[in-house]
Amino acid sequence: MTDNSNRIFWGVDCGSSEIKVVALDPAGKLLLKRKQKTLFPLRDHVHHALAGEDGDLSPFEAIGSDVIKPGHKIVATGYGRKYVSFADDALTEIKAHFIGVEQQLDLKKAYSIIDIGGQDSKIIAIDHSKVDQFIINRKCAAGTGAYIEELGHRLEVSLADMTALARNNDKKLSLNSFCTVFSGQEVIKVLMNGERVENIIYALYSSVVKRVMEMTAITTDIVIFSGGVLTFHPKLVEMFTEKLTEINPEMETILAPNAQYCGAIGAAIYGKTT
Amino acid sequence: MTNVMKDYFLNLDAAAKDPERKVAWCTSVGPAEILRAMGFEVYFPENHGAMLGATRVSSDTIPVANANGYSPEICSYLTSDVGAYMKGITPLTKAFGITEVPRPDILVYNTNQCKDVMHWFEYYAKEFDTPIFGIHPPTNIPDIRQQYIDDVTRQFEELITFLEPIIGHPLDPEKLKQTVALSLEATTLWSEVLDMAKVRPSPLTFFDGTIYMGPIVVLRGTQIAVDYYKNLLAELKQKVAENHAAVKKENKRIYWDGMPVWGRLRSLSNIFDENDACVVASTYCNSWVFSDFDPEDPLASMARAYIKIFINRNDGFKENYIADMVRDFHIDGVVFMAARTCPNNSNAHYNLPRKLKERGIPTIIIDGDLCDLRCFSDEQSTTLIEAFLETI
Repeated sequence: MTDNSNRIFWGVDCGSSEIKVVALDPAGKLLLKRKQKTLFPLRDHVHHALAGEDGDLSPFEAIGSDVIKPGHKIVATGYGRKYVSFADDALTEIKAHFIGVEQQLDLKKAYSIIDIGGQDSKIIAIDHSKVDQFIINRKCAAGTGAYIEELGHRLEVSLADMTALARNNDKKLSLNSFCTVFSGQEVIKVLMNGERVENIIYALYSSVVKRVMEMTAITTDIVIFSGGVLTFHPKLVEMFTEKLTEINPEMETILAPNAQYCGAIGAAIYGKTT
Repeated sequence: MTNVMKDYFLNLDAAAKDPERKVAWCTSVGPAEILRAMGFEVYFPENHGAMLGATRVSSDTIPVANANGYSPEICSYLTSDVGAYMKGITPLTKAFGITEVPRPDILVYNTNQCKDVMHWFEYYAKEFDTPIFGIHPPTNIPDIRQQYIDDVTRQFEELITFLEPIIGHPLDPEKLKQTVALSLEATTLWSEVLDMAKVRPSPLTFFDGTIYMGPIVVLRGTQIAVDYYKNLLAELKQKVAENHAAVKKENKRIYWDGMPVWGRLRSLSNIFDENDACVVASTYCNSWVFSDFDPEDPLASMARAYIKIFINRNDGFKENYIADMVRDFHIDGVVFMAARTCPNNSNAHYNLPRKLKERGIPTIIIDGDLCDLRCFSDEQSTTLIEAFLETI
């Protein structure tokens, strides 16, 4: 029987853009968080993300080993969850993000989570501490991190600079298309017409907000933002908040603590409770 | 099952090569009983479309149809099948050694499902210079009115008049009665087969049903279909007696609305199985339950049965139908498969999932298609289904 006080619960969120790892102690204290780009073979890179560098806290007995140390438990989530052969368990990112947010914020009220990831966007409605319903973007990349990255690439703007640029807009330009390719063509057209990049970035964010908001009607008074895209694009959070408040003046919005790691934290907590 | 379908296709192949015999092509919920009673061998292109999808040959044939003017947005049974014809291939070759689909002497469609079947059959009518006849019933109806039945009955009578010179003899009314009686018997047995899934644990899944349904689609009106379902029903009763579960740890019971994703039957079945969920009922498999057939009033009862099908009804009917199925089969949640190329058989588009949710029925929508796997994401569908099963 393992001494519970020595246990460490690992959560690994194998996203399409990045692998996120957290470790929790039995009390739920966050011991570490680390991430790396999602590369292939996925299994090897997930292993590396968990193991860290030499001397780091690791769930493995030795470097290169799949043998898990006694007392350590790994739960995987995200699109790559089924490819983590050394994980003890797996759960979907819907449930993982819910648990991650729920445990960190303990809201005790109905709320919704907006999570924008590399390849998908999700809206999860929580009621009575249970997932009431959820929806994932359908059919194309619009409204996801991939959409922002693609158009950022076309504009030759780094992701880190986007928020500052969008805050310097001088008009509320909009992109009409919600297909990444069509939007790209539209961006080229407005660039050729001499439009400022600041206004185009604003339009790009605006189209993400529109695309996500049309996925479902949000009926709660609280919205929590999670996921990497919203962590690194504060202007996008501001624009979501503006739109949500326009629809519901009572709306309260919160960027989740450790927003990019909510899925991994949820997976680790799941491991702790199962 | 393999032998039943093999014999069916070999017989069709032989008929197509025999100048004394006539082959009719018919839509899957078309008036097969009339054709069969008059002596036609009946071939169903939609069944061929499903075979193209299930074998994933459609991934090679749909682009051929697309490149020849058939949009990727229209019925992928049509594009799979027309593309296969253009490419000169058929899965019947690998399955049964048949080199080409049986050439038609007559094409008969019914737009009770959609108008794509009309475009599909018109393509072949021109290609083969073959006579064509369409039944055009009232569509999207809330209830069944006598005027609808009279209208379709009259169209059936016109069809018979149209067919007589092609087959070379008049319709024998007794033969039609016998054929409708056989259809009724087969469809009643099929209904009983599907109802076996009301038992907990269920001895069959929707995915089994998509295979078992072959004869009710292509052989209704024959003794072969009756015998097949008698045997299948006995087998399932035996399984129930032995407490045999199709999903070993059946914990959740699911309803599937919409078409099967033919090229992903196994992987989808595995996802549910791995999560201890059994898809016990579906709109699709139940669409070949025609309880209105009446041998004593064959044409009018056929008209009623073929107007009444789920796909031809309005949203209110569909909502109540699914709610009743949820109650009768003890369903925990409904999966809507929104088929990109089959809007008529995709019921998530007009808010039906939300209406069911308001009635306390959990629902999820997955995007996909019957044959066009370009419209289906394995990863996203798996996540959606698993997350759904986690939450209900």
